[in-house]
Amino acid sequence: MTQTIVDIRDLYVQYRTFDGQAKVLNGVNLTVKKGEKVSIVGETACGKTTTVKSILRILAPQASIPRGEILFNGSDVLKMGYSELNKLRSSGASMIFQDPTMSLNPVFTIGEQMEAVIRYSGQSGVEQKSVRHELAVKALEETAMPDPERILQSYPFQLSGGMRQRVCIALSLATPRDLVIADEPTTNLDVTIQDQVLKILKQRVEAKGCSLILITHSFGVARETTDRIYVMYAGNMVETAPTQELFREPLHPYSRALMSCIPRLSGGGMAEGIPGRLSNYHNPPKGCRFAPRCPEAMPRCHEEKPESIDVGREHQVACFLYDKDGGK
Amino acid sequence: MARTILEVKGLKKYFPIAAGEQKGKVVRAVDGVDFFIREGETLGLVGESGSGKSTTAYCVIGMYSITDGEISFKGQDISMHSSKRPLSIKKDIGMVFQDPGTTLNPQRSVKQILSLPLSVHKIVDKRDPEEQLLKLLEEVELPAEYLYSYPASLGGGERQMLAIARALATDPSLMVLDEPTSALDVSVQAKIINMLLRLQKERNLAYLFITHDLSLMRNLATRIAIMYLGKIAEIAPTETFFSAPRHPYTQMLLSSIPVMTEDEEALKPKRVVSRGEIPSPVDVPPGCSFNTRCPFVTDGCFEEDPAMREVGTDHWVRCHLFA
Amino acid sequence: MANANDKANCQGTVVKRDKFIQLKRAWYKFSLNKTSVIGLVIVVAVAICAIFQPWLAPYPHHAGEFVDFANVNCPPCKEHWCGTDGVGRDILSRIMYAFRGAFTLGLGCLALVVPFGVVMGLIAGYHKGQWISTFIMRVTDVFLSIPPLIMALCVCAILRPTLFNSLLAVSVSWWTWYCRLVYSMTSSLCNEMYVKSAELTGASTAHILFREILPNCFGAVFTKMTLDMGWIILTGASLGFVGMGEQPPIPSLGTMVADGAKYIPGQWWISICPALAIMIIVLGFNLLGDGVKDMLSSEE
Repeated sequence: MTQTIVDIRDLYVQYRTFDGQAKVLNGVNLTVKKGEKVSIVGETACGKTTTVKSILRILAPQASIPRGEILFNGSDVLKMGYSELNKLRSSGASMIFQDPTMSLNPVFTIGEQMEAVIRYSGQSGVEQKSVRHELAVKALEETAMPDPERILQSYPFQLSGGMRQRVCIALSLATPRDLVIADEPTTNLDVTIQDQVLKILKQRVEAKGCSLILITHSFGVARETTDRIYVMYAGNMVETAPTQELFREPLHPYSRALMSCIPRLSGGGMAEGIPGRLSNYHNPPKGCRFAPRCPEAMPRCHEEKPESIDVGREHQVACFLYDKDGGK
Repeated sequence: MARTILEVKGLKKYFPIAAGEQKGKVVRAVDGVDFFIREGETLGLVGESGSGKSTTAYCVIGMYSITDGEISFKGQDISMHSSKRPLSIKKDIGMVFQDPGTTLNPQRSVKQILSLPLSVHKIVDKRDPEEQLLKLLEEVELPAEYLYSYPASLGGGERQMLAIARALATDPSLMVLDEPTSALDVSVQAKIINMLLRLQKERNLAYLFITHDLSLMRNLATRIAIMYLGKIAEIAPTETFFSAPRHPYTQMLLSSIPVMTEDEEALKPKRVVSRGEIPSPVDVPPGCSFNTRCPFVTDGCFEEDPAMREVGTDHWVRCHLFA
Repeated sequence: MANANDKANCQGTVVKRDKFIQLKRAWYKFSLNKTSVIGLVIVVAVAICAIFQPWLAPYPHHAGEFVDFANVNCPPCKEHWCGTDGVGRDILSRIMYAFRGAFTLGLGCLALVVPFGVVMGLIAGYHKGQWISTFIMRVTDVFLSIPPLIMALCVCAILRPTLFNSLLAVSVSWWTWYCRLVYSMTSSLCNEMYVKSAELTGASTAHILFREILPNCFGAVFTKMTLDMGWIILTGASLGFVGMGEQPPIPSLGTMVADGAKYIPGQWWISICPALAIMIIVLGFNLLGDGVKDMLSSEE
């Protein structure tokens, strides 16, 4: 049985705002095994970033977690003390953010930042500067950066967007990690550079044997980079399956609607879009949160929240359509 | 064949660098661009960052004054800055910007935003001005209750729809859209693109659509022009563009697109893999600007900049391979 | 909470133009910072004292010509919370009356300075690079280089020292700060897409300056006005301290501090109480200004 790195169970997260509590996450379940590459696909404001930030406990101060567990290598992150949490963040999991300009400190050189990460990673043998320098050079070489020595001496503003993002990838993999979280790492990049960066990310993660959680709003990106996809809507994981399986047979009405909205390279016109709007987190609908917009909603969907149903082939979907007792 | 509504010839826009270590040099954002748009059709202007596609759009709309070249609209010369253009031209060309967050003034209500173009061009319906605004909202499928709302309470997609309504208020013949859906989710994008297609049919609108998303253009554009470092690399009708792309950059771009299905995967050119980075528009390499990344580069590519050659019906390519 | 960008695709909640909700929301943002509420309480209390002085002050007539040599130099006690001064007048009542002068100075100065400075700033910022902008900003530089207090002293020395002249004196250089503030805001705002859009539509310059750009400057201008009230009152008190403010028998905070200075440390309350009053007003406005800044900022 492969070891499970992350196991999020029934996670609820809410934010305090003027209008009341925004109940963003509504019972999220997510599992990542060792060496697995998983992506969370969903539209804006569906809670993807909130979910991964909870793993590292870097949510905004207005956030609170009324219920749920997040197990990282067996221990519950939500109950961790300061030193354990520190260890998690310095050597357990790392995060690559969407905007590389914001993640790199503009007043330090790349070298200084990389060496800082290596120094505080809790590894042994990194007290000497020369050792850290070597590791930094190696990390950059592995991401196919030309002239790593020069890069280490440069400041972030001297590099292009694609290069900065590659530096961020190098930063997150410079020291041994169990998990890399990448939050829309290529959304701000050009398509040709995106292609290069994703290939490097995938290759490095596989080489190091770590797990990957990739957040994206593009099914195409998820398909090319990861083994398993979670589809998220309004704070719930509505469907999850191995990549091939999901594309072969998307089951949840939201997954299907979303896939149909994507313009095809093969032509065929544009789909209609999904009617209605994302539900208000302050006053979420009772029952399934997608029910108000779902073309196949049944009366039951507006009353009860669907639990995840296993339909075999490692494919789970949270929809009453597939419930043996109450489905169509 | 519908008549030509917009014609651009030899458009150049250089930005001189005023300060810093590169003072005295120029950024060649647009370096000799020719195209035309017919009534009722959509020209997709595709390219990555630094290609000059947005700059081209801004020159057409008059936000920048051009360095060289000619732009004519319905036969009239509009090569000057928008402040010098006659009001009738401003009425006839509409613009939609990319970022829904900054395209609307957060301190102005929907009613005030929509009323501005109407009052500037004196086309307010005096008998029932509110009804006129409500009709506009209806055209873009926004609910009537939004009339007194502020942009902060609208979602990104709704704000873009409002921006489109604002551009449509003066009943233009040409709309310039600079990546209007890039910042939006696919489901919202689908809704907006459908709306744009419907409006185009109803009003016989011509669109100059700037984007980096080739899959979108496949489903929207009549013709596509692909830009690289300020010049057009290839321009062709949509079908031809995807079935027989000729320029190596076009093929590189097509092969990089992440797609979802096997059929689409089969359409992508296999031989050209993306490599290298786009050079700075300040230091454009001599000869063909693509020579730093092109997998088919030859010696001639470093010496002479290729000219546009016709390789098919309405299909032009700028590449020595087709000289 | 999801920031503005995150909201980009979440179909927003339709908020009808409900002034009541907007007020409540503004209060919520304001009251997040407890010290701002304290500032508001102080300012409101001082304002009430100023307006209702004849009814609230224990000895309202002491604010005018009055002598009572029997009660001279009484220390603070039950009848006179701040004691009495050299001619027997109740200091607290005089302080409350002096608040009127302070507020009038502050509000009057702002009323002159803000419209002028803002308009200058708008014009200069929008036409950045052209001669009119350069001209306005150089004039601003000249006035900025003169310390307000020195300028005010000169003006008051040339003209008679009255409240109105103090007001003029302070205004002469104060408008420059608003000009500068609005200039820098305007020059960055005129690159915003909504301004460009209005220009492309063909809107007039007046419309763009006053309808598109100015409403976006309100937040910063209003915050500065709140903080400036404290500063102007302080400047006015400094003028009074050197004898260039309102002349006796009208009580003015600065003059009261000056008069009482020779009695320190013996009869300390004659100087210290008005000084404390000045400090409290300035503190109140500063704290209030913090809250106003939070309230008007567009961060959700």
